[in-house]
Amino acid sequence: MTPSHFAFTSAFMLGLTGLALHRYHLLSALLCLEGMMLSLFIALSLWTLQLDSTCFSASPMLLLAFSACEASAGLALLVATARTHGTDHLQSLNLLQC
Amino acid sequence: MNPYVLITLLFGLGLGTTITFTSSHWLLAWMGLEINTLAIIPLMTQHHHPRAVEATTKYFLTQATAAAMLLFASTTNAWLTGQWEIQQMTHPFPTTMIILALALKVGLAPMHSWLPEVLQGLSLTTGLILSTWQKLAPFALLLQIQPADPFILITLGLTSTLVGGWGGLNQTQLRKILAYSSIAHLGWMMLILQFSPTITLLTLITYLLMTTSTFLVFKLNKATNIATLAISWTKTPALTSLTPLILLSLGGLPPLTGFMPKWLILQELTKQDLSTLATLTALTALLSLFFYLRLSYAMALTLSPNNATGTTPWRLSSTQSNLPLALSTTTSILLLPLAPAAMALFTP
Repeated sequence: MTPSHFAFTSAFMLGLTGLALHRYHLLSALLCLEGMMLSLFIALSLWTLQLDSTCFSASPMLLLAFSACEASAGLALLVATARTHGTDHLQSLNLLQC
Repeated sequence: MNPYVLITLLFGLGLGTTITFTSSHWLLAWMGLEINTLAIIPLMTQHHHPRAVEATTKYFLTQATAAAMLLFASTTNAWLTGQWEIQQMTHPFPTTMIILALALKVGLAPMHSWLPEVLQGLSLTTGLILSTWQKLAPFALLLQIQPADPFILITLGLTSTLVGGWGGLNQTQLRKILAYSSIAHLGWMMLILQFSPTITLLTLITYLLMTTSTFLVFKLNKATNIATLAISWTKTPALTSLTPLILLSLGGLPPLTGFMPKWLILQELTKQDLSTLATLTALTALLSLFFYLRLSYAMALTLSPNNATGTTPWRLSSTQSNLPLALSTTTSILLLPLAPAAMALFTP
């Protein structure tokens, strides 16, 4: 395992742990998701740089575009949740547990 | 919803699944899954109801996490082995992680708890799309990777059949019952995946047919819980006598279509000297059968007391198209004699 591999793996795992265990605000969950996507961006960029290949160089930009779409969908859902539930606490998302 | 927006979203759903089907590179497969997720989110929130918004938020969080885990595992695979091909997964760690991510995406047992809640918050049409079309892309990926360790798939499968049967026992809400039935059927598919992918594909197709007809029947009756289902004889008497057959086909009783995948799976497991596992799964199918039987009982064998105005909805004609319902109902009841032909069709 190279140092760069270790760096992005630990960044991703930290984001995943935060998403799984820190369940208080919806916004913090979205931030953890964004951190995971950014660590994947670093991973793909380093892969391209290490290989020195041009055919793979578009992939980090594609990933960034998709993660931006995903983040905007998440923020739209944050607004929708704030309008319907009055708060962004994940605890208040309990209407469907019957 | 604006028809242009609706067409764009439905096109996006089709495009995402098609990209995942045709890709051999993990990044493209991931893009297809993301397009799929992003396209169904506006469909899920089209009624601005707190339940719909909550279900969409939960769906978004699980699907985004699963997709990120999938891409992380494939990137790790590329760093470890230098390979981006879907069919060339050799390292055990990324393979296991990808299987877990796809299990989270389709809702298999240890990662299943989002599925009943999400399905409960949706309309029946969106629920139909969610439990049929959205399963295709993850299963196309699952069918292409060969796990090194048989333990994980068997654990996922057996837990899913158990939880799917157990969770549905105490439910009165039809969409939650259908969600648990989906979990149980996906468990059967996972059990057989490493021994015979052909049978997995056959099980998936028959499950899609049966669940389509069930959702369409419930949509025609506008039923979301058992009590509403119990007065469906006032709307469509002929369909009411047919629906127990569909439900028992989902449960897997012999002269119906649902028996075919269970039969083949049990036979294949016995061939692989796993008769204990086969017995256990057959026993967990009994748990599922119990709630299908309860639905059939409430629908066809009881006559709940109603006032005169409650029993006249047959006067209102339905605007729903009958052709999909007729086709899926016929195939989900009568397909068992075609089992050899179906097996030959799916054998590569």
